Amino acid sequence: MSSRDQRYVELFQVGKTYPNAVGDPFTVVEEFDLIMRRGDVVSLIGHSGCGKSTVLSMVAGLNETSRGSIAIGGREISGPGPDRAVVFQAPCLMPWLTAYQNVRLGVDRVYPHATSAERHEVCEYYLAAVGLGDCLYRLPSELSGGMQQRVGIARAIALKPRLLLLDEPFGRLDSITRMELQDVILRTLDRESITTLLVTHDVDEALYMSDRVCMMTSGPRARIGQLLELPFCKPRQREAVLEHPLYYDLRACLVSFLEEQDTQRGRLQEVEFVSRIQQEVETLVENEVVRSPSPQVANSTTELAVVN
Amino acid sequence: MSTLTHPPATEASTTTTPPALAPQPVQLTTAREINPRVLAAWSRFKYAGLRFADVTGLSFLPPILRLLDGEETAKQWREIVRTLFVPAAAFALFLFAWTVVAPHHRTKSGVVPTPSAVWDAAQSIWAFHEREGKKESAYLMSGDERSTWLTAARERLTKLEPYEQAASRAVAEATVANQQSVESKIAPLVAQRKELEESIASAQQARLAAMETQQAALPSASVETKEAFLAAVRAHQEATEAERLELQQLDAKIQTARDRVDARLNGAKRTQTAIAEERQYLATLVDQLDGANQESKLDREISQLRNNQRDFLASAGSDILPAAMRVVQSERRINAVRESNYAKPWTLPMQIARSVACVFFGFAIGSLIAIPVGVLCGLSPTFMSAMTPFIALFKPVSPIVWLPIALIIVGGFIPDPNNNGMLSFLEALPLIGWMKINPAFIASAVTVALCSLWATLVNTALGVASVDKDYLNVARVLQLNFRDRLFKIIIPSALPLIFTGLRISLGVGWMVLIAGELLSSSEGIGKFVWDQFNNGASDSFAKMIVVVFIVGVIGLILDRLMVICQRLVSFDNSGLQV
Ligand SMILES: Nc1ncnc2c1ncn2[C@@H]1O[C@H](COP(=O)(O)OP(=O)(O)O)[C@@H](O)[C@H]1O
Ligand SMILES: [Mg+2]
Repeated sequence: MSSRDQRYVELFQVGKTYPNAVGDPFTVVEEFDLIMRRGDVVSLIGHSGCGKSTVLSMVAGLNETSRGSIAIGGREISGPGPDRAVVFQAPCLMPWLTAYQNVRLGVDRVYPHATSAERHEVCEYYLAAVGLGDCLYRLPSELSGGMQQRVGIARAIALKPRLLLLDEPFGRLDSITRMELQDVILRTLDRESITTLLVTHDVDEALYMSDRVCMMTSGPRARIGQLLELPFCKPRQREAVLEHPLYYDLRACLVSFLEEQDTQRGRLQEVEFVSRIQQEVETLVENEVVRSPSPQVANSTTELAVVN
Repeated sequence: MSTLTHPPATEASTTTTPPALAPQPVQLTTAREINPRVLAAWSRFKYAGLRFADVTGLSFLPPILRLLDGEETAKQWREIVRTLFVPAAAFALFLFAWTVVAPHHRTKSGVVPTPSAVWDAAQSIWAFHEREGKKESAYLMSGDERSTWLTAARERLTKLEPYEQAASRAVAEATVANQQSVESKIAPLVAQRKELEESIASAQQARLAAMETQQAALPSASVETKEAFLAAVRAHQEATEAERLELQQLDAKIQTARDRVDARLNGAKRTQTAIAEERQYLATLVDQLDGANQESKLDREISQLRNNQRDFLASAGSDILPAAMRVVQSERRINAVRESNYAKPWTLPMQIARSVACVFFGFAIGSLIAIPVGVLCGLSPTFMSAMTPFIALFKPVSPIVWLPIALIIVGGFIPDPNNNGMLSFLEALPLIGWMKINPAFIASAVTVALCSLWATLVNTALGVASVDKDYLNVARVLQLNFRDRLFKIIIPSALPLIFTGLRISLGVGWMVLIAGELLSSSEGIGKFVWDQFNNGASDSFAKMIVVVFIVGVIGLILDRLMVICQRLVSFDNSGLQV
């Protein structure tokens, strides 16, 4: 990897302050530093309201930074760009357009020189890829929440982005649909190897989907608490991840970090704990430990209690 | 509709008696065999009906459909009572109260017409319209058709004669009978009046005599006695006044009794008028079919032309020029007759059509201005600030003010209406040519536009300005260009509010139009009302009330149309493709 690929996405000392008409300005995030390699899948995890969406929308260019800078592929960004696509928490489909037309909206812009038939094929391909091959011409109101989110995913991927930004894309879905869609996205990412920033507050989702987990402290003035490198191999298999010997340690590490944030206790022990686990991971990876067969197949996705 | 008489299988199964101990499913399913195709057709019809009711907002339809389907019968009946019977009962109550109250109010144009008089007026309006239509076609008729119509009309005329005589006889008899009953009712009153008059006269004389004797006996010096005398004179004056009032009241009573026309005379007179009207109509019809008919006029002119041509060929010397002139004039007259038409007066249905056309014309002008301006206002706060003074200033201006201004301005563009390219082009158009679009029509439409565009403008601006932020974020992420953002995101998302504005605008426009026509004398419903107000025939009042209902019903239909449009474009309401 070239050095540019090593630092494909770079957030340097990013901060965001919202003006407050009746009081002090409200600083959501501060001194936020993050570097993503090309092809990396990074999860951003933190409590509700800590500023995850704010960071993501700044990377998307939808929200201006107050301080610091964001560079993608070595270029500082100023507003949304054709290299980035976003999947929002709510599907955000245009209710007056069919699933197909919603995808077509972006495709028409990305492939300006293609013929109409070619664009049609592209739309069909991506809708089929998310499993909506036979619901092309339905309005969003005739689709279930999961199907709507699939359309949102197809719309984002069809833009052929180099950076995919997912803002709690499964937050409002039931757990079965959520697992299906997690796989849909993983398969797509395996196929197209898109650099991805995934915002979530679900520990299991972060572990299953990403190469690195970036834990945010609770706001205001949120910043990165810890970065956790995950040892699971790609392409991801749900059982393989769950049966991995370190899965429960990693999970416990994430949960305890988030609980620490809850109680706002001293951060020292927690930092020690994380670094100890991280060392274990590294030694394991070095020794190429095979995963041990584990009897229990826990797959429930544990959600964090929403604080505040 | 035969499907409606077949209750579906589910209901049929519930009507069978429940099986005793051992369940017998066979009996349950085959209790009453219904053709599955019929069932499927019925359920299709039912769902189409439900969707239709949903879109049009006809809230009484769904319970009826559901009732026919046997769904929750009691609940459906409650719904039907609420949505259908209650309004009907309220309206019936209104009609009843009207019938009772109306005859008690006497105005210069007769008593307030009862519902039945209004209904008669509506029928007479319709009869007038139909007869004028027949006269028009009679003028253009030719050949065999013309002669058959002519004989039919003449036959009817002769048939009418005995009826007419009978009707006059009936009126005469009824008049006599009415007179008699009036006299008999008046007689005691007259006698009472005479008595009263006499008693009053004698009372007055007695008082005068008393005062004179008092005067003679009055000692000249006493102030008190003189004042007592003055009081007596005052009392006399007051008594006289009261007596005169009593007499007047009695006179008024006698007059009302004398004016009374009984139902029989009224009916006889109405029959007589109807027959006279038909006779007059038939006479005009015969004229239009016979002497005044286009074909017969043409025949006359052509034979005249032949004569003139012969004369011209035979002419010599200084006669040639006059003869040639006559030939040319004949030819011109023939062309004029060919192009001529029956001078049809405006009938109410034609005026209604013209009014509706006018309101849509004005509404279209208003919307074509309001929607783009509203979109700009919504997109740009700066533009909105620039428009605010105009909106604030012109929105409250009444149509009564706009209309004269519009008349003058339109008149400025069309100085000579009889010789204007655009107007004659419009008159030559097939469907709207007969409406004779003139400056008054355009001014009325412009007034409608000026008064109605504000609601659309404000709502459009609001709709565009309040597009969901999420949609705009999606548009930014998809990097849509301005055109796509406007036409694929912003306008579709603002459409429900735009249509809300359009609906209000059309309602306002319809109200404004009637007033505008009344003022500008542009042919239409307003003009009809004005003519009725000025003509003062016996049924003018009733005809005006007919117009009240027509205006209301048309306004209702326009509103419903806009509601349907609104619901068809509102995306948060799925399954609206009726
Ligand atoms: N436009 C805004 N103005 C003021 N405060 C905002 C605005 N948007 C978000 N916030 C605040 O920023 C904080 C972080 O919000 P968000 O990024 O949506 O959190 P998360 O996605 O992690 O749940 C919240 O406390 C929220 O109240
Ligand atoms: Mg969020």
